Amino acid sequence: MNTRTQHEPIIQMREIEKHFGSVIALAGVSLDVYPGECHCLLGDNGAGKSTFIKTMSGVHEPTSGEILFEGKPMRFADPRMAIAAGIATVYQDLAMIPLMSVARNFFMGNEPIKRIAGIPFYDQEHAGRITMEEMRKMGINLRGPDQAVGTLSGGERQTVAIARAVHFGAKVLILDEPTSALGVRQTSNVLATVDKVRKQDIAVVFITHNVRHALAVGDRFTVLNRGKTLGTAQRGQITPDELQDLMAGGQELAELEGSLGGTV
Amino acid sequence: MRSLIASVAVGAVLAVAPVAAPAMAQDDLSYVLVSHAPDSDSWWNTIKNGIALAGDHVGVSVEYRNPPTGDIADMARIIEQAAASGPNGIITTLADYDVLSGPIMDAVASGVDVIIMNTGTADQAREVGALMYVGQPEYDAGYAAGLRAKGDGITSFLCVNHTIQQPSLVERCQGFADGLGVELGESMLDSGTDPAEVKNKVMAYLSTNPDTDAVLTLGPVSADPTIQALEENGMAGDIYFGTFDLGEEIVKAIKAGTIKWGIDQQPFLQAYLPVVIMANYHRYGVLPGNNINSGPGFVTADGLEKVEMFAGEYR
Amino acid sequence: MSEMTQQQTAADERVKEMSPLRRALIRPELGGICGTIVVFACFFVFAFDSGMFNSQGVMNWSTVSAQFMIIAVGACLLMIAGEFDLSVGSMIGFSGMMIAIFSVTMGWPVWIAILVTFALCIAIGAVNGFIVIRTGLPSFIVTLASLFILRGFTIYLPQTLERKTIIGGIRDIAEGDWLAPIFGGKILKGLFQWMGDTGIIATFERGSRAGDPVVDGIPMLIVWAIALVIVGHLLLTRTQFGNWIFAAGGDAQAARYVGVPVNRVKVLMFMFTAFCACVFATCQVMEFGSAGADRGLLKEFEAIIAVVIGGALLTGGYGSVIGAALGALIFGVVQQGLFFAGVESSLFRVFLGVILLFAVVLNTYIRRMITGER
Repeated sequence: MNTRTQHEPIIQMREIEKHFGSVIALAGVSLDVYPGECHCLLGDNGAGKSTFIKTMSGVHEPTSGEILFEGKPMRFADPRMAIAAGIATVYQDLAMIPLMSVARNFFMGNEPIKRIAGIPFYDQEHAGRITMEEMRKMGINLRGPDQAVGTLSGGERQTVAIARAVHFGAKVLILDEPTSALGVRQTSNVLATVDKVRKQDIAVVFITHNVRHALAVGDRFTVLNRGKTLGTAQRGQITPDELQDLMAGGQELAELEGSLGGTV
Repeated sequence: MRSLIASVAVGAVLAVAPVAAPAMAQDDLSYVLVSHAPDSDSWWNTIKNGIALAGDHVGVSVEYRNPPTGDIADMARIIEQAAASGPNGIITTLADYDVLSGPIMDAVASGVDVIIMNTGTADQAREVGALMYVGQPEYDAGYAAGLRAKGDGITSFLCVNHTIQQPSLVERCQGFADGLGVELGESMLDSGTDPAEVKNKVMAYLSTNPDTDAVLTLGPVSADPTIQALEENGMAGDIYFGTFDLGEEIVKAIKAGTIKWGIDQQPFLQAYLPVVIMANYHRYGVLPGNNINSGPGFVTADGLEKVEMFAGEYR
Repeated sequence: MSEMTQQQTAADERVKEMSPLRRALIRPELGGICGTIVVFACFFVFAFDSGMFNSQGVMNWSTVSAQFMIIAVGACLLMIAGEFDLSVGSMIGFSGMMIAIFSVTMGWPVWIAILVTFALCIAIGAVNGFIVIRTGLPSFIVTLASLFILRGFTIYLPQTLERKTIIGGIRDIAEGDWLAPIFGGKILKGLFQWMGDTGIIATFERGSRAGDPVVDGIPMLIVWAIALVIVGHLLLTRTQFGNWIFAAGGDAQAARYVGVPVNRVKVLMFMFTAFCACVFATCQVMEFGSAGADRGLLKEFEAIIAVVIGGALLTGGYGSVIGAALGALIFGVVQQGLFFAGVESSLFRVFLGVILLFAVVLNTYIRRMITGER
């Protein structure tokens, strides 16, 4: 199910290191992401997933290492540069502003402009129409574009955030634990959205610590542990149990799992 | 829906508000007294009692209004409002001529009679077209007190000013300094109105300037904590202490000898007289031919009995 | 999987249809609109013949409301952007005093004094904003410091320079100045003269102005208030920047992640609040001809109260300029109306508290409806 259409990776992270004072958060992590693939980044808490994607999205500058975007070396000084280049990040809890309408959230930072007598006004009508259209595509039925995001479920909010990133030309979409706080049905909605996005030739970096969610949509899987990559596997080359073991750093969990009756 | 109910409830609260309905007088004369004092200034209680008593005596209704924070610009709006409500007369202070002269002149021109009380001068009252001025010319009162202190051999002083932005209080200090024949300069202390702050500032000033001869306070707000400060640092009865205005604590201190004299501007007269004068003017067309100086009257340990009895109420 | 979502879209039983009434209820202005109607209805009943609704009376509460509106617009946008400015009142006193010092003490032309004061105040607003942004401290504390600093200078400067705390005589200097009438003048004088002549409004009975209408024009204060409300409303609801204001106050971090320049928005809003305070002060100084060290005391709270009555959330991200303007109108009408109705003036604070409480309760309810919290 590898829907890769290009053979050049859109983003290459080479030997990324990130130190916070004396703490080494990332000790040389490398990762390639291709357009149209869903690349799952797995790891337990503290494995360095968040730090890693933050260097990718311009929040942190790496201490050493190289980022190649579309084959050219890039340095992102702040998130806006990364966004401008086409790297969009959807954070788990910081995606949406509940008190604002869906349309205003959707166009936040990219408001459509309509000039009346030379004065740039926010084009409400355009924003409303596009929002309703995009939401319908993603399978969310809104009362109207001015419905507040606060009335949407967690999964729907993630979907709005993803649709927003895609609409504004994201080439790489980073999803930070989009399913971790969701129920079963909402999770499946979000995973369906990820699938739709991937089919539009967008590279998806999907961060999770849930193996089942990863396997549902992932094309390739990279496991991080203690700031290092434990390797990348293709879909079909690895079983859920193997992934689970890798994430936990091998042996210990296998033993623990035995005593818990395979429920983890 | 609940919001509608809430709004209706707001209305209900407005509706049941105790609308002060004064006892109907025979000819329905109504007056408004506008002061510049913030709500916190307890000295104005005497004024409130004075107008209430005068209203009872001559059978008119008098309302008291003031800007809650003492902002003179807000007071201008209150005078405009009072004029718009069409009373027979307005009794007001003239705390800032620039700000208040316009609204007062408008009131006069629209047919409302005005008497200036408390702050302001006779000249200013004439300029705005008021009937008369009832009060104590602040600078003159300060000057008279300064002369008196000079006669008692005073050469330096501390003026404790609790509302430094109020020009009339500064004039009291200035007058006192001129009466003494010294520069005001650093002698005026911006004490603020908080009692603890006033007390500490006075103590601090006196300990850094130990050769200060006299203390002048400008009302109960600055006098009461100053009395405490002097009792605490042992200067009570020793340092020459004079004050403007009276109050319960001040009267006690005069009796105890801590305060040498109090300058009584007799606020009762400032409130009572304008009401009575205006009512008689409106009823019978009689008006005294001059302005009335309600003060300064020097209150000393002799003859304190009446003052003591009515301090804070009518004195 | 995508078929499943389609199916769900078609029949999502959880999206309830919303009645038009309920939709109308969840506007931030709602509380303000209801309050305005109720307040006017009450005063019509209890104070109709008290002079409150004659030309002088209307001008009186309109002017007071307009004053509140000018500072409420600034406070409203700033509050929606998620910050407070407690230095508004001190800023009013300070900017008035600076105009007086520049023009009277230093003898500059009035228009230069006004422009320099505006520049100075906006710069102080920017400093407030920068400190808040750089330190991450609550704006409550930072501007509380400015409250004291500015008030201190407002008392210290005139005392040192002029040996008094009220500087007057600005009206005389402002005579013939081109900029002063924009703050202190009146418009539509001809119309009011005509209304006075035809007897629609009352005229002065005596003195040198006998025969002139009691209200001789609309003060520029009111014009400024209306203009600021319109500009503020359009800015907030109809521009990109307006969306950024909501975003900055709603969730600064989320806004930053999508590229909203949150810091710039907040600093600009602090500057705008300072600008509004300066407009207030300039109108006042030009109208009354003097600046006093006690001007603007507690005005910051009055602005915040008006904004909250108008439906804005103290936590930011939600509110409306029209609502704030209505809040200011309610505030002004109640304050002056209680005098007209003959209510003991010390009770004004009681009413203020009650109205504020109702407004906050109502707003909480509205927010719950919007966000779907229970």
